[in-house]
Amino acid sequence: MTDRTIMRRRDFWTSIFLIVVSAFFLYRTSLIPFFKADAAGVQGAWFNSAALVPFGIFSALLLLAFVLLAIAVKDGGMVGALSARAMGFTRSEAERLACVALILCAYIFALVPRTDFIACSALLITALIWGFHSGNRTAMRLSALMILLPSAYALIVHFPRDQWTKPHDDDIIVLIAFLVLTALMFLLSRRLGIMGRVVRITPVIAVLTPLLLVIAMAFGFRQNVPNRQGLIFSKIEYHYYVTLKPFWSGN
Amino acid sequence: MEFVTTQIAGFWIALAELASDPVTYVYLIASVFLGIVFGALPGLTATLAVTILTGFFSNKFPLEQSLIALIGAYVGAIYGGSYPSILLNIPGTAASAATAMDGYPLTRSGRGGEALGITTTASFIGTLFGTVCLLIFVWVLLLMSKNIASPEKALLALFGILLSGTLMSQDLVVKGWIAGLIGLAMAMVGLDPILSEDRYTFGWSYLLSGFQIVPVLMGAFAIPQIMDGLRATTMAAQIPQVGRIVPKFGEVLRRLPGITRSGAIGTGVGALPGVGEDVAGWVSYGVGKASSKEGSKFGRGSVDGLISAEAANNAAIGGALIPLLVLGIPGSPPAAALLGALKINNVIPGPTIDPALILRVVAILVMASLTMFIMGLFTARIFIMILRIPQTVFLPVVMVLTTIGSFSVGGGVNDLFLMICVGLVAYAMNVMKYPIAPLVIGAILGGLFDETFRRSLLISDGDPSVFFSRPGAAILLTLNVLLIMSQLPFVRRRFSRLRRNKETPA
Repeated sequence: MTDRTIMRRRDFWTSIFLIVVSAFFLYRTSLIPFFKADAAGVQGAWFNSAALVPFGIFSALLLLAFVLLAIAVKDGGMVGALSARAMGFTRSEAERLACVALILCAYIFALVPRTDFIACSALLITALIWGFHSGNRTAMRLSALMILLPSAYALIVHFPRDQWTKPHDDDIIVLIAFLVLTALMFLLSRRLGIMGRVVRITPVIAVLTPLLLVIAMAFGFRQNVPNRQGLIFSKIEYHYYVTLKPFWSGN
Repeated sequence: MEFVTTQIAGFWIALAELASDPVTYVYLIASVFLGIVFGALPGLTATLAVTILTGFFSNKFPLEQSLIALIGAYVGAIYGGSYPSILLNIPGTAASAATAMDGYPLTRSGRGGEALGITTTASFIGTLFGTVCLLIFVWVLLLMSKNIASPEKALLALFGILLSGTLMSQDLVVKGWIAGLIGLAMAMVGLDPILSEDRYTFGWSYLLSGFQIVPVLMGAFAIPQIMDGLRATTMAAQIPQVGRIVPKFGEVLRRLPGITRSGAIGTGVGALPGVGEDVAGWVSYGVGKASSKEGSKFGRGSVDGLISAEAANNAAIGGALIPLLVLGIPGSPPAAALLGALKINNVIPGPTIDPALILRVVAILVMASLTMFIMGLFTARIFIMILRIPQTVFLPVVMVLTTIGSFSVGGGVNDLFLMICVGLVAYAMNVMKYPIAPLVIGAILGGLFDETFRRSLLISDGDPSVFFSRPGAAILLTLNVLLIMSQLPFVRRRFSRLRRNKETPA
């Protein structure tokens, strides 16, 4: 089976998806006033309607989606389009990809807004390096699990947005998850015979990277950093302003 | 003549001011170094380097310092891509793909050091060439831009999206155009620029101000790279031995005409809206092969082939900044990231841009290329060592960098949510072989297109002839129509039949 055949099968489904999406957005655009587009004191006409350009864009998208569908059907993309294997997706590949996507989503949607940035980034770095460096499936699954557990806890227990920036127990859970994952990494790597230089330096990279980054961003670049009330960062910030700064200023 | 002398004097003053400030050197050395590292590590790109630094500097630093950091990283990253291309046959960036054709065979024949040395020199001269062109053409275009009104701007923005979609497509051109349209559609989210009508916000107040450009850039360029890099297990690379890196003066002098020709091609291609360094490298390589006396040696370790790709992709930097500064239309994806940084700093590129800023950009480019040249020749071995770091180690670090950078620009988690959503969509598009650059160009130019298109109709009271009654608009409309027509199957068939008939006379 050639790459081209696989690509056309994928194109077949993509074009259908694009047709549905562009039709939906054409419907949404129809809700924007078109012929009587008066707003903000400006007398409206069809040519200054906010719907004019979107109508053009989604119509063009619909047209191109049909062109893509025609190309896909003409090149045999409809044949076997219902089989995942015929579409060129292997199970191990899909599992690996799903794990990466899940880890990234858990980190961004659940951990960064709610937990200490240094702790959750250390957990992410350990999970990604150990889980994906050696290609070992157990390492990958365990890494994904160890990041999903504290994420699920943070999401379930502290879901309302007003709770996100307050210090709470999920920081401790993330820290424990990081320590457990690091311990598992060393134990299993030794047992599986994949103990190399990368495994040995992973905890150093995992801790130093977010720590230095947050310090540089907050105090050097004077930028905003996520979750200032986080377990570790709040202590750093407190000692920066209460202990270090007065000491430097000679007070 | 007086205008020329004033500009030259202005440039020297800008250069002297930069050179006399010690902070400049700190920023330049750090950013060029970081840029070369980003370029050298396969999986990281020049766009990513500029985007990540945008997140760090955003609007809390003086504009000049931000520009030094971003331009330094841009120049360094385009050059840095040549390291893995030459030493490992793995292009560090798409812009260095043509470099691998001749660079790696040279390394295999034990001439890796020579290849690196001549690449560094060609990149330096190429960047300077592009910079000189920027200095000249930006003023010519600025004078012309007085006649550029809303219809021309709308058609130019459309041309940029279409051209980027056409040239960046790896599979079907229609996919490039779809990507561009998705980007345009993304730009429609939020309050519209003329009537402040609420569009596609679905009740989410964050979306009222539209998609923020930095999270979109980071999502589109960083997340797919991270996911793709982690999907495939890669082991640390075995770096071959390289000899002397500093090239011989005579050798450089002999190759100067070729470098200059490639520089001219690179600048020209770079100046085309939305196209960029990778296309510049390939076009120059193709022209070099056709025009060189030793064209048959291209692809088998030809130094001429190597310099034609490398001088062009670096010269494209200056070219890409021409439409960016004059029209606010980025010439390449990294220039799009630079536009994001300028906008964060409340600088609106276009005909009303501060002329002193252009001179400062030119002076920064000159200093950045000089820093790159010195670093490339005398500290190349450090970058060669960096190549040993496997992707699976540095990509998670990049994820954390991207997260904090994206957060700090907007100062909210909504930017992170947007970044990951755009990233997942961009990854899916990558898998389906849709180019990402047209999507980003579309997202950036969408607002400009919407505003100028409607303003044109508003001025003409709904008369569409405004798009072909003005000479500039007529030319641009013709270019757009020709570009679309050139991709239609029956037109392509007719052209290929005509070509065949010419080649085989009856």
